[in-house]
Amino acid sequence: MLNKKIIGFLSIILLLSSYHALSQDVQKGDLSIGLNYFVNNNKVPYLLVKVKTKVDGKFKPVSDIAVNLSLDKDSAGTLIGKVVTNEKGEATAIIPATLKNQWNSSIKHSFLASFDGNKKYESSKADLTVGKAKILIDTTSDRKITATVLEMKDTSWVPVKAVELKIAVRRLDADLSVNETASFTTDSTGQASADFKRDSIPGDINGNIVLVAKIEDNDQYGNLLIEKTVPWGSKFVAVNNFDRRTLFATRDKTPIWLLFMAYSIVITVWGILISLVISIFKIKKLGEA
Amino acid sequence: MENSNSIANEKIIQDLLPQKFGKSGKIWTGILVAFCLVGLFAYYRQLRYGLIVTSMRDYVSWGIYISNFVFFVAISLVGSLITAVFRLADVHWSTPLTRIAEIIAVAAIIFASLIIIVDMGSPERFYNLFIHGRLQSPIIWDVIVITTYFFISILLLYFPLLPDIQILLRFKEKSGKRLHKFYGFIGSFWKGTPEQFKLSEKAINILCITIIPVAFSIHTVTSWLFATTYRPGWDSTNFGAYFISGAFLVGAGGVVVAMYIFRKSYHLEKYITADHFEKMGRIVVLLALLYLYFNVNEYLVPAFKMKKSEEAHLNGLFTGEFAPLFWFAISVGMLIPIVILLFKKGRRPLPVFIAGIMVVVGAWFKRYLIVTPTLLHPFLPMTNVPDNYRHYFPSWEEWAIALGSLAGAMLVITILSRIFPIIPIQETITEQHENAE
Repeated sequence: MLNKKIIGFLSIILLLSSYHALSQDVQKGDLSIGLNYFVNNNKVPYLLVKVKTKVDGKFKPVSDIAVNLSLDKDSAGTLIGKVVTNEKGEATAIIPATLKNQWNSSIKHSFLASFDGNKKYESSKADLTVGKAKILIDTTSDRKITATVLEMKDTSWVPVKAVELKIAVRRLDADLSVNETASFTTDSTGQASADFKRDSIPGDINGNIVLVAKIEDNDQYGNLLIEKTVPWGSKFVAVNNFDRRTLFATRDKTPIWLLFMAYSIVITVWGILISLVISIFKIKKLGEA
Repeated sequence: MENSNSIANEKIIQDLLPQKFGKSGKIWTGILVAFCLVGLFAYYRQLRYGLIVTSMRDYVSWGIYISNFVFFVAISLVGSLITAVFRLADVHWSTPLTRIAEIIAVAAIIFASLIIIVDMGSPERFYNLFIHGRLQSPIIWDVIVITTYFFISILLLYFPLLPDIQILLRFKEKSGKRLHKFYGFIGSFWKGTPEQFKLSEKAINILCITIIPVAFSIHTVTSWLFATTYRPGWDSTNFGAYFISGAFLVGAGGVVVAMYIFRKSYHLEKYITADHFEKMGRIVVLLALLYLYFNVNEYLVPAFKMKKSEEAHLNGLFTGEFAPLFWFAISVGMLIPIVILLFKKGRRPLPVFIAGIMVVVGAWFKRYLIVTPTLLHPFLPMTNVPDNYRHYFPSWEEWAIALGSLAGAMLVITILSRIFPIIPIQETITEQHENAE
């Protein structure tokens, strides 16, 4: 009887372990969710979600992952939205107007991101807490740029000191620092100033360039950015060969040297040929005479 | 003495007068006409349905039409070699071959012009070349130089014909009414006076001088159609010389083939002798060696470097999709004829004829290999295209039109040889007299 119980017990253990072994064949991957908070030009804040997974020791972006974003607590009525990552593993969501009251009720907020899991990946969560802050930019006629960082305390904006920020000129692919200093730190008045040293930088056709002051990946305030357009660049003059005589121009813009050469050759050769045709008529005349 | 001379003259005239087609001539002409008609039907289909009836697509936009065009331009250069170069170099043995060369040149240049219009799809597009053409484009240079070369070739055929026309007009019964009328129209004014001869000789000399730079230009410009385009296999500074050497080779090959056929068909053994084949054999082998040298430069140097962007193209030729055709063209078009013609026994009429055929056939496929494989290997890889865009094999319409054009060129040669003496009569008589003295 005891033997039967032992055999039965061992059978169950064996069955469970075999089930466990089978389940290992469909082991799901782990996802890492990153949350970033952005405010550009003191407008509506938005969140950037980045989802990645480790493959062969390297992080790779994961697309088509549905992530729920909520404000402060994960409950009905606080849902910012449900986003799906693109091929870069990224998705964005703005804070919707429906959450305005809750947004205004506090100077600090937490964002929760959660993925429920699917056939390939385990569920995953992430959170981020930021304080409300804003950045201002001002310029003077002697080309000095002043950026001011303010944070919300109770119901008013107060300057923040010792915040690292960048003051730069917006270019096509990246931002170029306005002088040799790569980054600046705010003083007790919340201000950081930089002299503009990029005098010959090309602007648009009116010489306008876009200045930018930005805080990047700040633990307390996230990513803040402000822009200002100033006419400090050199005017862009388009160089256009369209009206010039070139080998690649239209037929009415053939280079003079080519016209000269081609017509010289054609006129010479065809002149000879015409003279030969005339000599046929001369031969004919001689024959008739 | 004078009497014996006139008997000899009459014998030469009788031997060299154009002859009516015999049975084999009629069959030959019938076959050529049949090929032309099938080609015309295929062209009708192309006109009706558009270039979609061809296998040319986005990548291979130059197929066998352009290969055929390059081939015709190449073979037309023979007129300048045999007539102009030899005449200016005072080489007299080539006299019996001059008209054959001039007729081949005229026929080839006519069909070079026609096949390029066929390649345009709708023929009215040719008009656009004049109203929208840019002088900066080698295509316009080609149009100008082909027109010029055609005109020079016609004149170079016509001037030496005038004394022969006078002889032909004496044989009204043999020529028939229509031909006699035609001879009268083009040359009844020739009386053979010293003044006329003087003017004619001067004109021929001017033509011989003019045709050489124009002939070089026609084929150099044709090579520039490729060389000015940045593509694997075409990006070469050597293309002009490479094309001209190839053109002289195929032209000389074409002449030895025509020499042999006319010699056999019209029993001209006394006029186109074994010595002519010996000498032409030497010229062909020299030209084949020269062309082989350019081929070594064109293929071996890029193969030594094996640039990544040209790798697929070169491997395709040496060991890939086009390898059988490539090695066929190199061996049949150059190597085997060189081996045959290097030996004295190989320069007898029949071996020279066989080598000539090999040169011409190899040259046609060589032109195809210059044009098409490059287009299948663009610098930017092909993406999102149907599978048939990645390969090219001509449709039956393209084959019919290409073969029809080749038959058409041969038909023009056949008709011209029926109308005019294939060996210049007057010049042969004059040379006989000079040799007798």
